[in-house]
Amino acid sequence: MSRRTDPARRRLRRALLWLLAIAVVVAYAFPFLYLLLTSLKPATEAIAVPPTVLPHRITLDNYITAVNRQGVRASFINSVTTATLATAISLALAIPAGWGITRYRTRAGRIMLAGSLLVRMAPAVAIGVPLVGILGAVHLIDTPTGLALAQTTVALPLSIWLLASFFESVPPEIEEAALVDGCSRPRALISVILPVVAGGTAVTAIFAFLASWNEFLFALLLTSIKAQTTPLAIANLQSQFGLDWGPMTALAALYSLPAVVLTLLLQRRIVAGLSLGAVKG
Amino acid sequence: MLRGSAKSSPRRHRRGLSDSNYALLLIAPAALVLLALVGWPLLKLLIDSLHTGSTFDAGGRRFGGLANYQDLFTDAAVRAAGLRTLVYTVIVVVAELGLGLAVALLFYALGPRSQILRTVFLYPLMIAPLVAGLLWRFMLIDNFGIVNELLTRVGILRDAGDIAWLSNPHLVLFSVAIPDVWLTTSFMTLMIFAGLQSIPPELLESARLDGAQGLRLLRTIILPLLRPVIAVALIIRGVDAARAFDTILIQTGGGPQSASETLSLHIYKTMVTYNDPGSAAAMSTVFMAVMMVVALIAVMTLWRPGRES
Repeated sequence: MSRRTDPARRRLRRALLWLLAIAVVVAYAFPFLYLLLTSLKPATEAIAVPPTVLPHRITLDNYITAVNRQGVRASFINSVTTATLATAISLALAIPAGWGITRYRTRAGRIMLAGSLLVRMAPAVAIGVPLVGILGAVHLIDTPTGLALAQTTVALPLSIWLLASFFESVPPEIEEAALVDGCSRPRALISVILPVVAGGTAVTAIFAFLASWNEFLFALLLTSIKAQTTPLAIANLQSQFGLDWGPMTALAALYSLPAVVLTLLLQRRIVAGLSLGAVKG
Repeated sequence: MLRGSAKSSPRRHRRGLSDSNYALLLIAPAALVLLALVGWPLLKLLIDSLHTGSTFDAGGRRFGGLANYQDLFTDAAVRAAGLRTLVYTVIVVVAELGLGLAVALLFYALGPRSQILRTVFLYPLMIAPLVAGLLWRFMLIDNFGIVNELLTRVGILRDAGDIAWLSNPHLVLFSVAIPDVWLTTSFMTLMIFAGLQSIPPELLESARLDGAQGLRLLRTIILPLLRPVIAVALIIRGVDAARAFDTILIQTGGGPQSASETLSLHIYKTMVTYNDPGSAAAMSTVFMAVMMVVALIAVMTLWRPGRES
């Protein structure tokens, strides 16, 4: 309100605002807390009517059941393998492309940037459906490599946008100095310029990794048993055993905790990455 | 301005490669891989859309010309799925914009000390949509869902079975939007908060001295200044909401009575459940084309990335 209101009212108003904000954040945090709490309940309490908020008894039974279900541990290995491959392919291609786009500002670079944006906006189902036949023809269906290639269509455009933005902070003089010192241009990129944007590259790697880690539609279309990733294992836990919510919440918690912890730990960098990728380009 | 940092260096003709050719060389591998991984499927999509029958049929695939497209435009199920996609997108975007703006303004009013709350508020950003869908399905289940239980406890509902979130065909399109809204309101808040911070405080101060307060301040000063940020956020979120798949599939599979079957789900079902790749390809092609046109217009008119410094 106006600055002329008396201090007591201002303090009260401020306290109320804080209370409101805390209430909003608690409500917003509740779903994930509820997932964690449910995963720690005995399997029967997880589906009790009426439901409980806090566990009457804390147990890791759901986690043990989930991890021992057939295919679950293999799915984690598949998820890590696939996401690592997709990240490696995306970074290997996006680092030179991002530098080429930002440092030289050619027409080709602008087309590449716009193309990446368009690809990012394409409905995944339109790419996934024909990929079933294509990956089948080259014997990459139901393999981590095939799935990683499909997910590269998501991770690569994202990485290009992010890296092109992060490279903006590199003054061209750094490259010139390296060239004067006798570096070749590719050498300068790898050993001089890349270390300058090491933080940005790490953020890009995390984004690419999580894009693959969290991806579901391609995994659903392009894998069946051998290369099944964790989101599929979670979804199958549900259909195969009826509504087996206890172990399912445990598996979902195991699978999403790394993403949540990363978000909270690297908050500043992830925010920078998101707003760079989204706003500035 | 675009050429600002591309100052010609004394070594640019080293090894006879000009700057622009070297840039092309750097960009080409990524461009070729994207072309192969996206261009090839899209080409195949186009070819598939011109064929009828499935490879598993006794007669195999036959060239059908535009038959699939003709069927598409007369098919009531496709029209309904298209309409649902539009409604779903509007629900998601409006809810996120409203909530995101409200929370961002709240954090802004609290000043820099809201840092901890802001950090916590970001936590769902990287949660998989599949998990979000599953979690909300669990929380909205008719008999033992915690949402109805809590609503009953505080006296809003008389009985926990009063709202059938996911089995009432009239309500389900709203219910399946909840995980999407929950996941990405963080993003909306983040963008709008960043936008708010770039508004010069003196501007708000002088508007206040002129007597503008509360909603008027919001409508006449803050919202117009936030317009570019909101435009970008709306494009990104609108496009993503229109493509939503994981959250809906895992919550309802498109049901009940197809009431939550958006285009992505309808295409998936046509392909996998009904084994009709021709129709699925034709639908995907049209969906893709519409999305590209909408995205292109939106980006060109509202966003224009790279145009400003």
